Amino acid sequence: MSRLFDKELRPELYSDLSELTFRFIGDLEKCMQCGKCVGNCPAASVTQYNSRRIIHSIKMGNVEDVIKSEELWSCFFCSSCYASCPKDINFPFTVAMLRYASLYAGYGWEYVKKLLPYALDYYRTGMTVLQDERNPNITRRRARNSDTSGSMADVREKMGLSRERKVSDRALSEVQFISDVSGMTRILKELPDKKEKAPLSRSELDRILLVTDRNGKFAGFPEEDDNA
Amino acid sequence: MPRTEVLEKVPIDDSYFLFRSCVSSSKYPGIETSTEEVFARLGIELEDSPEQSCCGGFITFTSLAEVTASLPAVARNLSIIEESGKNALTMCNGCHMFLTEFGHFMDHNPDITNKVNEMLGMLGREYKGSSHVLHMLEAVAGLKERIKEQITNPLKGLRVATHYGCHYLYGFKHDAVDDPYMPTVLEELIDIAGAENVTYPEARTCCGSGLTQIIIHKEEMSLPFLKRKLDSLKKIEADALIVVCPYCMTILDRGQFKMEERGIEEYGVPVLYINQLLGLAMGIDPVKLGLEAHITPVKRLLEKLEASNA
Repeated sequence: MSRLFDKELRPELYSDLSELTFRFIGDLEKCMQCGKCVGNCPAASVTQYNSRRIIHSIKMGNVEDVIKSEELWSCFFCSSCYASCPKDINFPFTVAMLRYASLYAGYGWEYVKKLLPYALDYYRTGMTVLQDERNPNITRRRARNSDTSGSMADVREKMGLSRERKVSDRALSEVQFISDVSGMTRILKELPDKKEKAPLSRSELDRILLVTDRNGKFAGFPEEDDNA
Repeated sequence: MPRTEVLEKVPIDDSYFLFRSCVSSSKYPGIETSTEEVFARLGIELEDSPEQSCCGGFITFTSLAEVTASLPAVARNLSIIEESGKNALTMCNGCHMFLTEFGHFMDHNPDITNKVNEMLGMLGREYKGSSHVLHMLEAVAGLKERIKEQITNPLKGLRVATHYGCHYLYGFKHDAVDDPYMPTVLEELIDIAGAENVTYPEARTCCGSGLTQIIIHKEEMSLPFLKRKLDSLKKIEADALIVVCPYCMTILDRGQFKMEERGIEEYGVPVLYINQLLGLAMGIDPVKLGLEAHITPVKRLLEKLEASNA
């Protein structure tokens, strides 16, 4: 019989794992490795990504391997695994939190860097998606379809709308305030210079990661290290 | 099949706070105008506010900054909704997910809410948790009978397929108004609009955006997945694909153009928001419905409609 499903053996199985692993296991402990999640997974259908294997890996204590893996950055966040899970495990949530673990450990920054333009747009305007088109062919096609110049401003005007939706000055200053005091602005400033670092030790990982307790309940944010 | 126990609890009000979406305002303004036009016909007022910004949830789920950055941003928007004294109507699966998830999280973690409110307090705002956030699918499901009364130009002979989008039915599975794997709300509305329902094997799969995969793994993952979906859609020769999420709309509408641009395949299936389809069936001007903003042309669909009504 598999040790995994033997409740008596569990503490022994996890005995050499850090508290961190326990926290992440949370919901994952319920996993019975049925694989329904993989059958519904878009990432699994186009790559070797395999949520069942990742969960198994974490349950066996190999959190670090998962955190270092490129696979972690392959999830589509579609939640179809969650929808089909007979044990109601919210795996995309775990992935989101593991990605932070990965970033803290120094991995994955190359992926996040690609998202920087959208975050900067958000900081600059209060909106994440703006009217400008990165591909001029899109504007040309829209010109043909709409009998206008193809610019969104002209299309909106033809529809009887303002040429651009803008959030108020107050809203923008509040968005920027929240970004500044929550540390987001600092992250955005540092992002371009972020380099992949050497992996952190498990105890270091343990210190910076605190997301859910064993029951999957939120357990608080990591405590700031005043000496850092 | 819609879940009657959820449907019964959907607040159907005389007026809502219309929560605008960045994608719809900036890329597909027809999503917003069609919603305004259709709801005006139903006698429902929609109010918005320039104080509303991007929902703010994307920050966390794209790994840009932790939940500590998203929470106050989302709570700020929720406080603006609460100020209006109305329930909110969202047009985007993402906006809906982030507003409801973060709201739910704060409602169940009072200590966190206090911290968030400390920050909002500095801005003269407060999150109370007093407004309900509706997804468009819930609203149109609840208003089905009233929509039926307003159909003046049934879309006879139009073959229509659906795409629900993941973040409502899958991510919100416990509280969603419809079943994640056998949803029928859109199909019923297509019926009401007088069009014919057609389905394709990949109907329930992701649009291919993968939230950020369209940016971080575009060539390796996002586009191959999208192609599979579009190939499956093409085979059934649908006249239109109906969505309830502006982000899905972006991927499916522009994805077809991308494939065409690269000489891979021509699809030509126009992608419409549910209210744009209902708007056509209510005889609303296609320009007003913003159909000209779409990249995959809607022209052929309009010509077919004209011919069948002639």
